[in-house]
Amino acid sequence: MITTAARHVPLMLASVVALFLVAPLAIIVPMSFSKAISFEFPPPGYWTGYYAQYFASHSWLDATANSFIIAFGSMVFTLIVALPAAFGFVRYRFRGKSALNLVMMLPLIVPAVVSALGYYSFLSPMRLVGTHVGMIIAHSVLSIPVAFLVIAAALKGFDRNLERAAMSAGAGPLRTFLWVTLPVLRPGILVGALFAFLHSFNEAVVAIFIAGRDASTLPKKMFESIRLESDPVIAVVSTLLTGAVLLGVLVSLFFRQRNVQRSANAA
Amino acid sequence: MAPARGTCYMIRQMSKAAPMPAVRGLTSRDGLTAWLLVAPAAVCIVFLFVVPIGYVLLLSVTDPTVSLDHYRRLLTVPLYANVMLNTFKTSFIVTLACLVLGYPLAYVMARRNDAVAIILLVVVGLSFWTGFVVRTYAWLVILGNKGPVAATYAVAGWGRPPQLLFTSFSSTLGMTHVLLPYMVLALYGVMRKIDPSYLRAAESLGARPFGAFRLVFLPLSLPGVVNGCVLVFTMCLGFYITPILLGTPKDMMISQLISQQIEDLLAWGFASAIAVVLLASTLVLLGVYNRFAGLDRLWG
Repeated sequence: MITTAARHVPLMLASVVALFLVAPLAIIVPMSFSKAISFEFPPPGYWTGYYAQYFASHSWLDATANSFIIAFGSMVFTLIVALPAAFGFVRYRFRGKSALNLVMMLPLIVPAVVSALGYYSFLSPMRLVGTHVGMIIAHSVLSIPVAFLVIAAALKGFDRNLERAAMSAGAGPLRTFLWVTLPVLRPGILVGALFAFLHSFNEAVVAIFIAGRDASTLPKKMFESIRLESDPVIAVVSTLLTGAVLLGVLVSLFFRQRNVQRSANAA
Repeated sequence: MAPARGTCYMIRQMSKAAPMPAVRGLTSRDGLTAWLLVAPAAVCIVFLFVVPIGYVLLLSVTDPTVSLDHYRRLLTVPLYANVMLNTFKTSFIVTLACLVLGYPLAYVMARRNDAVAIILLVVVGLSFWTGFVVRTYAWLVILGNKGPVAATYAVAGWGRPPQLLFTSFSSTLGMTHVLLPYMVLALYGVMRKIDPSYLRAAESLGARPFGAFRLVFLPLSLPGVVNGCVLVFTMCLGFYITPILLGTPKDMMISQLISQQIEDLLAWGFASAIAVVLLASTLVLLGVYNRFAGLDRLWG
């Protein structure tokens, strides 16, 4: 009997930890419908007034728009730079490769506060503090290693026989690249792009230092609201963000399961 | 003659069930092409990242005057040594807590192949991708004096709850919650690759389930433990959001000191010097890790 009970110990522990991870996020949802003016749980009453406030508030909507613009801009810039770099690193040997590989990882290694301080002093002489351009520059560079790692991993798993087959069928290098290499790598590139987008969308520290008023993003606006005024709209924004993430996680899981099933069928 | 689209489509389909042995990781030696491919990223990182970090170094010895006074102050004033010590102590506690909590969760995720594993993956993915600010906010509500903990105290008739928010407890708890998914994913990445047949072999040779775990699974999972701990510890050292929102100035961490120097005192030079020390500590730790494991594996 003891052994059967012991078999369930890992699952029990894991469930408790999973609850610890998810419960705080679950509490935010009723908070967003709460009538309370400050952080109060359980809520004294329910309404949707703070949702209306969010959708009527210029500063919150501006921050939302800025977040999307900056995350999208960083994603595009990051991909343009990280995609060729992944090819260079995976497919070629060259002088100084390992040293350069460490340099590529620097934005992940350096603590965010340090980068934030650096960007502030670097961008202010160019008058780029508080601008979208400044934010996109900073966030793109911070996302380069993220996208690079994801795309390089996909590229390492790529079977180059496919390219040879295309070439021997008479396709030139460009045609092979556009019609064979890119489509096969598409999932990896999309995941890299998504990671870059989310990295920028969630980034708070650099934003707090350099976004200023005009390019303020959601994380910065939330951080400041929590510190200064404890605006109940924060709960609304948090619920919307958590909901969007949940949707994204479920969709990506669905595609992964479908791919697993497909490759199982093919084999 | 160029091949028809159909040929390329066929080749693409072959990628899904390749009958011939795959040729992977073939590298060629063409320095110029390689550098052209890598150059944009390298230029971006050097000019738009290394140079800004250089500004921090420069500022730390030139603002307000050219001197090493900031560093002398950091080394000699006991308050700052305490902040450093406290940061390392807190990071150590958070790392340990993340490991203790994360290990069973990652273990179940890696060993099961059913709905439970998927649900746990969703939970970890959800908290991984929800921003630090959102999750820190949740703890402000939970631990606040109108939160569920206080409500439980009131219902149970225990009177006023102890001060939870803005203590080193709340900041440690919040950081553990925020960094736990990183630990879990680092562990899971390694554990998933452990072949379950090793454990079956151990059991068929007479090991009890726990013995098989201790003698086979645990040693094989150690690289994941190292990765997770290095990742969480280094992230914790410079962690900004959570200590500032949940912590107390009494038990400051490095990031709180930096924020205080800038916001309250506008002491950019001194703040930069603290940032340099933080950066140096992080680099030393990761340098040691890189020496033994190779930095690439950290983010697996």
